[in-house]
Amino acid sequence: MTEDTSLARRYARFVVRRIVVLAALAVALVLSFLGDAATGPSALPLVDVLNGLLNPAGLSRSAEVILWNIRLPAAAMAVVVGAALGLAGAEMQTVLNNPLASPFTLGISNAATFGASLAIVLELSLFGFDQTVMVPACAFVFAMGSILVIQALARTQGTTADTVVLFGIAMVFVMNALLWLVQFVASADALQQIVFWTMGSLARATWDKVALVALVLVVCLPLSLRHVWAMTALRGGEEHARSFGIPVERLRMLVMLRVSLLAAAAVAFVGTVGFIGLVGPHIARLALGEDHRFYLPGAALAGALVLSLASIAAKTLVPGLLLPVGIVTALVGIPLFMALILSQRRNA
Amino acid sequence: MTGGLAIADLAAGYGRRPTIEGIGLPRIASGTLVAVIGSNGAGKSTFLKSLAGLLAATGRVELDGEDLLRLPAAQRVRRLGYLPQSLPLGSVLIAYEAVLSALRAIRPDLPRAEADRRIDDVFDRLELRPLALRRLGELSGGQRQLIGLAQAIVRHPRLLLLDEPTSALDLRWQLSVLQTVRDLADREGCIALIAIHDINLALRFCDRVVVLNKGRLLSTGTPDEALDSALLRRAYGVEGRVEACSRGFRIVLADRALNDGEGRE
Repeated sequence: MTEDTSLARRYARFVVRRIVVLAALAVALVLSFLGDAATGPSALPLVDVLNGLLNPAGLSRSAEVILWNIRLPAAAMAVVVGAALGLAGAEMQTVLNNPLASPFTLGISNAATFGASLAIVLELSLFGFDQTVMVPACAFVFAMGSILVIQALARTQGTTADTVVLFGIAMVFVMNALLWLVQFVASADALQQIVFWTMGSLARATWDKVALVALVLVVCLPLSLRHVWAMTALRGGEEHARSFGIPVERLRMLVMLRVSLLAAAAVAFVGTVGFIGLVGPHIARLALGEDHRFYLPGAALAGALVLSLASIAAKTLVPGLLLPVGIVTALVGIPLFMALILSQRRNA
Repeated sequence: MTGGLAIADLAAGYGRRPTIEGIGLPRIASGTLVAVIGSNGAGKSTFLKSLAGLLAATGRVELDGEDLLRLPAAQRVRRLGYLPQSLPLGSVLIAYEAVLSALRAIRPDLPRAEADRRIDDVFDRLELRPLALRRLGELSGGQRQLIGLAQAIVRHPRLLLLDEPTSALDLRWQLSVLQTVRDLADREGCIALIAIHDINLALRFCDRVVVLNKGRLLSTGTPDEALDSALLRRAYGVEGRVEACSRGFRIVLADRALNDGEGRE
């Protein structure tokens, strides 16, 4: 066999193309991040954003505050939350063998919304922490709690992918019912806050919150990458993966715990942001395939890119009005998702 | 002598009651192909799954002096290659990566050049090179079955467990796959246990036959020893003959299906 016909060499060229796609996604994300920072009610051109990033002292005091205290935290939050949801969705879809799985389909986001609503209605303030801390804290605790309950219930049935999905769907209905109950007894003021929270917004972003989500992402991504071979093998089917000696139930449990951490951290600070956990993995799958060495970073990058673009759209779709980003991701996400599915079917 | 495979009093199942029990096989030498045959529900798949460590099992399964049932999972999977009955899913994973991940999942430590060489070799043996960069979802059932087989043999197992490896293949590929397994056993000395419905194919390629019936061992030995008309009647409920063809192979000629009460077990 000559070197030129070696499969390894042919595959290496294939891998280079994937690395180029990953690099293109990263470049697009950087451009989108800068565009997001340059977009908003106050005029702050891209040149000023670049100057402000390199030399903050060169900006006027008001421009510096707008850039560093409002625009950049929100733009950075879009990136880290989008990456967290994209990664969470990708891992979830693999271990549940379900292309529709996302933090939403298993009720994680619904649980976070219920937790946040409870904190708002009860005006929770514990251990000296006020509502600005307690609302995301409750959202996080309920999101984590919901997935732990699903895991515990599923374990009694052998933790198959189907049982996890079924218990997740049940969790969606339970959390929605509880949310409606909370809304029913809430005061008008609290109800308004709950509705605003559920719409999903990047406007509440601060550097502390960005750092927390980024920390969760930095901790989870390397752990995800440790399982790339097992998860890639799982795409060939559960029985086959088992035959390679992969402990599928244990892998599924570990991944679900990691996913719940990512999703809970993401939705706790920005509220309900739909479709990122669904669209990000689908874009990555189409562009990069399902070798998880490329698919997982690709899903994180695609999720970050889509949320960053949605953030720009939220500020520009209706001039003078800042739409909650959750509305934009749903409105833009659904047609994008449909287009992806249709193009996939055409290609097939 | 401790080489080869020996099984004693093996029992395994899915619930509380064992699906297979009391299965014992005398020592099988390296390089032997063993056909595992029997009617539907005889316990062929359960037998292979229990050897692969996918079902809780009792008894003793000695491979080259080690009891497989008591080996830690990480060590056991390095000695085994198991092809399940189901086909690999039709995902967007490409064939090369499906085989690469099967190898890397158990051998992350394997040097890259060795991994590349093994994958190249297995794609050559199974004539799969044109499919290497195609998505599993684009492949036919038979092609996916070949990828599944590639995933099993790329690991260079000592014991190859193949559950219906030819079920989705046409006649040409059935012969090709079994010849490949035959060559592998001859060249590398691995033992292959092949659950298969086509008895004539089994007799053509295998050195030994294991006949299961209702979860128990009915007969074992060389094709000459293990199969006769009485056994066809007991194991399959079929009236038939075992004869020698012009090339010297044993072949089974099935005449008619027996009704209940005509000697069926």
